[in-house]
Amino acid sequence: MPDLPDVTWSDLQLPSLPLPHLPAPDLWGSPAHWAILATLLAALAGLGLTGRSNRLAAWVGVGGALLAFLATCWQLYTLTQIEGARRGAGTIGALPLGDLDAPLRLLVTWPLAIVAVTVAAVALVVQGYARWYLWYDPRYRPFAATVSLFTSAMLLVVLSDDLLLTLVGWEVMGWCSYLLVGHQSTRSAATRAASKALLVTRTADVGFVLGLLVLVAGAGTTRTTDVVRHWAEAGPSPALTAAMVLLVVGVAGKSALFPFQDWLPDAMEGPTPASALIHAATMVAAGTVVLAQLFPLLSVSGPARLLLAVLACVTMVGAAVLAFAQGDLKRLLAWSTVSQVALMLAVLAAATMGTGPDAALQHLVAHAWFKALLFLTTGWLGVLVGGTAMALMASGARRYRVLRHRFGWGLLALAGVPPFVGFFSKEAILGTAEAGTAATGGGFVPVLVLASVGATAPLTAAYCMRAWLVLSRPTAAQGHARLYEPDPVERIDDFFDEPQVVQEAEGVERAEAAISSSARMGTSALMLMTLFGGVVLLLPVWGPQAHVDLQLMAATLLLMVVSALLVRLAAGGVRTRDAAARIPAGVSLAAERGLHADLAYRVVVVTPVLALARAVAWFDAEVLDSWVRGAGVGSRLLGRVGDLTSPRRATPALALVLAGMLALAALGVVTA
Amino acid sequence: MSGTLGRVRADLLALVPDLGTWWYAVALGPLLLAAVLLLAAGRRAAPPGHRVLHRGSMVAAGLSALGVAGVALDRPVLEASWIPSLGVSFSLRPDGLSVPLLLLTALAGVVATALHLHPGREPRPEPVDLADTDPTSPIPVVRGEDVPGLATYHACLLVVLLGALVAFLAGDAILFFVGLELVLVPMWVLVARYGDPGSDREGAALRFLLVTVVASSLVLLGILAVATATGSTDLALWAGEGGASLGRGSQLAVAAVLLVGLGLKTPVFPLHTWLPWVHATAPTAGSVLLAAVLLKLGTYGMVRLVVPVVPEGFAAWSPLLAGLGVTGIVWASLVCLVERDLKRLIAWSSVAHLGFVVLGLATGTQAGLQAALFGNVAHGLVSALLFVVVGGLKHRWGSADLGRRRAAVREVAPRLGLALVLGMAASSGLPGLAVFWGEIGSLLAAWSPAADRPEGWFRGFAVVAALGGALAVAYTVRVLREVWAGDRVEPRVPDAVLTERTALRLLGVLVLVLGLVPTLLLGVTAPFVEGVLGR
Repeated sequence: MPDLPDVTWSDLQLPSLPLPHLPAPDLWGSPAHWAILATLLAALAGLGLTGRSNRLAAWVGVGGALLAFLATCWQLYTLTQIEGARRGAGTIGALPLGDLDAPLRLLVTWPLAIVAVTVAAVALVVQGYARWYLWYDPRYRPFAATVSLFTSAMLLVVLSDDLLLTLVGWEVMGWCSYLLVGHQSTRSAATRAASKALLVTRTADVGFVLGLLVLVAGAGTTRTTDVVRHWAEAGPSPALTAAMVLLVVGVAGKSALFPFQDWLPDAMEGPTPASALIHAATMVAAGTVVLAQLFPLLSVSGPARLLLAVLACVTMVGAAVLAFAQGDLKRLLAWSTVSQVALMLAVLAAATMGTGPDAALQHLVAHAWFKALLFLTTGWLGVLVGGTAMALMASGARRYRVLRHRFGWGLLALAGVPPFVGFFSKEAILGTAEAGTAATGGGFVPVLVLASVGATAPLTAAYCMRAWLVLSRPTAAQGHARLYEPDPVERIDDFFDEPQVVQEAEGVERAEAAISSSARMGTSALMLMTLFGGVVLLLPVWGPQAHVDLQLMAATLLLMVVSALLVRLAAGGVRTRDAAARIPAGVSLAAERGLHADLAYRVVVVTPVLALARAVAWFDAEVLDSWVRGAGVGSRLLGRVGDLTSPRRATPALALVLAGMLALAALGVVTA
Repeated sequence: MSGTLGRVRADLLALVPDLGTWWYAVALGPLLLAAVLLLAAGRRAAPPGHRVLHRGSMVAAGLSALGVAGVALDRPVLEASWIPSLGVSFSLRPDGLSVPLLLLTALAGVVATALHLHPGREPRPEPVDLADTDPTSPIPVVRGEDVPGLATYHACLLVVLLGALVAFLAGDAILFFVGLELVLVPMWVLVARYGDPGSDREGAALRFLLVTVVASSLVLLGILAVATATGSTDLALWAGEGGASLGRGSQLAVAAVLLVGLGLKTPVFPLHTWLPWVHATAPTAGSVLLAAVLLKLGTYGMVRLVVPVVPEGFAAWSPLLAGLGVTGIVWASLVCLVERDLKRLIAWSSVAHLGFVVLGLATGTQAGLQAALFGNVAHGLVSALLFVVVGGLKHRWGSADLGRRRAAVREVAPRLGLALVLGMAASSGLPGLAVFWGEIGSLLAAWSPAADRPEGWFRGFAVVAALGGALAVAYTVRVLREVWAGDRVEPRVPDAVLTERTALRLLGVLVLVLGLVPTLLLGVTAPFVEGVLGR
């Protein structure tokens, strides 16, 4: 083994350049305000003021996202001009809650500012894309408004310096995902998926809320920086451990970690732009952001790290395996999101205070670019061929050449091939995990994470290769050319049949005409970021970093190449070039159903709760209510008794009253 | 920026005429006058048409709302001798606790009088073995009609408002009690005479009357006990003394009597069973008033008569109260998962919300009391909104049974659908809408209660209440899935009419504003809370 040079991340980082001091206009509020308010107001205006005009709603939605994007970009610049690169801002003022301090402030730091730009950019692209994708949708207006609200909530989580504000953004995102996934509310599958997404994430959020209560109660304030300082000074304690474990449970729900993973693939029932938004930059990534903000607390509570590492590693590997077996490209991407988000969270568990949480945020940013690209391109092709099933998608990248690079670059980045953006973030993750191993002397958590990341890399390469082989399969026309030199024996593909929907003649022109220029421009921008986004990850603003182990890098790349080649080999001889066709039908069916997690949810949670609810309702009606009914019946009976015993006719009664009065008067006269 | 805003606010305030105590005449006078006129008109052989009655009643409620707004801005104090031999004075003293509730009452009054009385109709006939294909049957647009007894109906609404305003304004315990009693009989008339004829009107009205009269008797007992001990019925004096003139034993007894009485009105588990029945039967406007005003009288009474007056007794009972509150949260949310009647379901969710309010009250901290007061108002707004929607739907459908298949509200009545989503989202505690701040505040307070409360118990309660929050989302999802989403468009129902739209907009905007800027309301109640608990 040759002696490899020792490379650290800071060697790779770009030199920091002094930026000119621009004359900054004195605007009201800070850029963080602008970003959050622009999208929030766009949501409210989009719902309330646009009347019936889709065009106006589109302007409002896109305009809000554009404003947020510009504000976050401006925020980057302002950070370079501020000593210490931290900028706080107030919001609606402190809540007057007596002893409890709730200042509701925002805070911008470098990594989170970059995350904010990414969120705003992806939201902008998605808004532009949605205008095209939902052109004929009668419910475009609520959709655009919900996307705006979603963006606002995510920006709030990213920029929040207050646990209450974080909770606000967190819960609003859950609701927005409900509305977006269930957008086509006439389809029962969509409604069901939306309900499931909300219920699963909200159930896990009970943990999030309780963890937050513990943290806030201990610190006496809801301000995140103060909470972190208070608990970090206090050192590890059972209360802190409990709080972080509870928070991790909440994060596991939102980020679709095992055992909450099943809502995310089902959420594919939503329109593609919604999927792109939920998967790329918001919602599932929110857990990473929150845990990164609370990283000093996570790093000192061992059980929480262990729980996070185990859940994330199980999810990471399991989801990558399941992704390989999906019969629908969107579901494949969904499972890949589950796996990649678990990757982000796993590195948070493995990182130490020395390395910091930045690797997770770097992967968040990288993932946002390429996953948004992949989803939007899939949606584009889906419109062209009439669905996202692998069968329909086959040969898509060949038939529509304009999609070829989009798919190709996205998949390469997802697999983590240099020089795409995914490669850099994956190296940062490997380096951080390895640094964690070194720092703890081979502690269980970092070793587990390192091993899982190492196992996930080839698995990711495998499903990317599978998708690419199907997408870039030679078209029938190209196949006919080779018909005269037939392959030995064609294997019957038990997955799907030939695509029938669009014929070969409809080529590039149709594909380009089908999409609006703004939507196309958006995907092009994402494509560029997928290729050149590595530059962002190499900016000198990311925190302390581990060194890059060249041996490890080489080994991972080798593994990826081997697995890709194996997939290619397996795909050979299958008519559709789908390597997953080699999987037994029963297995692939189970994989498509998420290994029947639905059934488990129903048996473990839904059925007992409903049984309890029925018991409670019965008890309430038959036992608790009986005293009220009894009082009613009793007073009626009493009234009846009085009615029977009192004289019926007026005259005798009147006589009695008069007699009584006379008696009283006589008594008065006598005693006087 | 804030300087400009402050100047604008000051300029606007300067425009408000300075009427002093005459504001009370504006706030209470129209209600009294209109109620008497309506009652007189209703007794004539040929009562005026529905337009006159409806508009007259709306004008009275609107004028009164203006007066209430003036009272809220000026906060004039009226002291007049009333029954000097008993030491009872006619004193009206709005403060930070009552002003939000006064405004809420005025708003609920405008909404309730604006809504049409939907005359009882025969339940729509069940389709004959066409389970999946209900034939189209025309449903008339919801409009005002000449209903017999409409004048009495509006008079009852106005008297309920009058009583509630008096109760909230009262600075004297006896006057408070008078207000508390004044609302009962008209409400009983509303339920018994104008309720849903398809249900057991008599039974529901009887329940309501029995329960609330029992509650009132208990409250009166408590008031008399405190009055004899302190020798006065002045509420400010009671609060100032802080129970000094009562021994620990009598504090405990008085607190118990008052809490049971007010708990029946609030209602607190397990005294809640009357509420779903009454709500299911009451006319829409009656439900709105019941949820937004009458239930508030219970919690208001707790804060006014119990928390500052017998603090020691309240502290002793508060773990039990909080326990019952959180039991109510989970209990009601569970029932909501299987309840078949939509209107009853909303009533059950009220029980859950008030559980949070009671939990916040019981913590004995400023944060808890603030959260409880906020949650109180938020619940009033949200449940009023939901009852407007659900009452309208019930009238359109002919019943509120969730078991029957109906057209998806989102498809056929998108405006009602949007309001339903907003209301249910708020009801499930979505941040950015009003209820959230009350609930999270109660949870925060329950996790670190006042020093004299058992911390372990309260933390347990917080955990249970947080679970109840998740259940709230579960029933919300259930309602939206069964009522809002779906692909059926038959049988068609008309969308919200103008009065409904206006009411929904008004309430929806307020729910949103309070959710986005909770400091608006918290700032109003903060001085009061500090005065009660900051000593």
